[in-house]
Amino acid sequence: MDGRERVNRMFARRDHDRVPRFDQPWKETLARWQKEGFKGDSKAFLDWIEADFQFLGHLIRPAIYKEDPALIKEDFFNPGQFQKIREDELTHDLRDPFGATVRLWKNKSGTPEHLGFECDSSKVWHQHFKPRLMANGIQINLAKVKVDYANSRRAGLWCLLAGVETFEYLRAMIGDEVALMAMVEEPEWIEDISRTLTDLQLMNFEAALETGIEPDGLWMFGDMAYNHSTVCSPQMYKELIWPDHNRLADWAHRHDMKFIYHTDGNINNVLNLYIEAGFDCLQPLEAKAGMDIRKLCPIYGDRLAFMGNINAQLMGTNDVDALEEEIATKFAAGKAARNYTFHSDHSVPPQVSWQTYQKIMRLVDKYGRY
Amino acid sequence: MNLLQSLEEAIKKGNRDDAVKNTKEALSINMPPKDILDALVRGMDDIGRRFKINEIFVPEMLIAARAMKESIAVLEPILVEAGIKPEYTAIIGTVQGDLHDIGKNLVGMMWKGANFNVIDLGSNISPEKFAEAVLTHKPDVVGLSALLTTTMPMMKNTVDVIREKTGNAVKIIIGGAPVTQDYADEIGADGYAADAASAVDLVRSLLVSLPG
Repeated sequence: MDGRERVNRMFARRDHDRVPRFDQPWKETLARWQKEGFKGDSKAFLDWIEADFQFLGHLIRPAIYKEDPALIKEDFFNPGQFQKIREDELTHDLRDPFGATVRLWKNKSGTPEHLGFECDSSKVWHQHFKPRLMANGIQINLAKVKVDYANSRRAGLWCLLAGVETFEYLRAMIGDEVALMAMVEEPEWIEDISRTLTDLQLMNFEAALETGIEPDGLWMFGDMAYNHSTVCSPQMYKELIWPDHNRLADWAHRHDMKFIYHTDGNINNVLNLYIEAGFDCLQPLEAKAGMDIRKLCPIYGDRLAFMGNINAQLMGTNDVDALEEEIATKFAAGKAARNYTFHSDHSVPPQVSWQTYQKIMRLVDKYGRY
Repeated sequence: MNLLQSLEEAIKKGNRDDAVKNTKEALSINMPPKDILDALVRGMDDIGRRFKINEIFVPEMLIAARAMKESIAVLEPILVEAGIKPEYTAIIGTVQGDLHDIGKNLVGMMWKGANFNVIDLGSNISPEKFAEAVLTHKPDVVGLSALLTTTMPMMKNTVDVIREKTGNAVKIIIGGAPVTQDYADEIGADGYAADAASAVDLVRSLLVSLPG
């Protein structure tokens, strides 16, 4: 059974040989593992865990400052062009493709510090940003999508297009504070950003399909929650952003694709809205935020697939006994619902030794067989 | 509804125009500034209470904090004149190695809303800078924030350096996505807050029993 068939069967809740797999170590984690004996890069890592999924092209995120194809990097999540504003020994301040100034570490991973946003009002949005976004048009790298698609089909992998959705885009373009306050005070502005972004995303995805590819899924990335809860109320989400989430899921279904949604945080209060929007799968289900598939699978397992939930903080303790309990019990819940894919509950941090991760994968082998 | 109740309501609704208008009106009829301040703090306390039980969410909390901030800007000169000081002085910052600032900013807003004098050191702050700020500003409490599991250990270093250079007088509390009460206990911090509203309650509970 190849990865594509395995994942398709998982989505259909039909018998499959083992739990599908995917995961993502930080670049520092990979560097540590290379010192500890792992040979290869991030691609080699996915081969080694026998990952069943493959992204096509880069993460699609319509940019204000159009990305120069010559400057597109091989980093899936950060393919774009940045303009350097300042630097010191450890950090640099960059203007990103969304007109935000961010401070990033030069040589390590981490969430950026947002220093400022060019788009700080609905006036700037309507006068400058929206017209420029619309004019920039198609930004997907179609040549890379086609090559990746051919490779994924040869390898028998379940392949997907991917992009950022409204919450992530708001954070990147106008910042959390302005965006969240505008949800209360200027909801029509937020709706307009969401609608415009979603139109552009769909235009890019349509362009990808016109090359003749037939992806298996659409994966949208956006963080709409944190440890405590969702950032806004379910009602506000339903009114402002949900209609565009619904459009993305409907578009995917019209093209025989499944819809996967990534968000960190505690999303227990919006699971029914996700089902109503047509989401097929949620990832990564942060354990530290209170997400637990042992509770979710019996209730939602027939309507939602789950990818993740293996506690990355617990991985970082390198406590193999505790990890065995974590994997055994969560895999049991996921296998009972036949809706589960292995993934850490976020990404694998550098506290996890290569020896520990090898043991984790042995446990995934042991408990992941049907 | 009297003027102070209207002011409290304006804060709860995050209506900054009404909040500023009511504050000015209350001052114009010579209401005691402490009464006006108390109405503002009552409004923000209610916001914190409802946030903790998910009756309201971050957007509503942000607009309430902004209304509070704008009212305080009107009221502050009068409070200074009357010799009324903020309830507590607090220093806040994200620990060295961590550039994340959203959680820290939310806590800072809620502390200001509770009438704390807040000194925000920013992000990526070394233990030595925290200790220096404690010596300079003599705060009642220091809040340390970290988003990443990789930067959590710097919280312990920061607690150690603050204790070593300034003694045990200042309370140190921690928060952030990967942080727990167990971790706070492990590194010798005085407390852990799970969210911005709880950070207000935590400071009050830690400091209320101390002799002034």
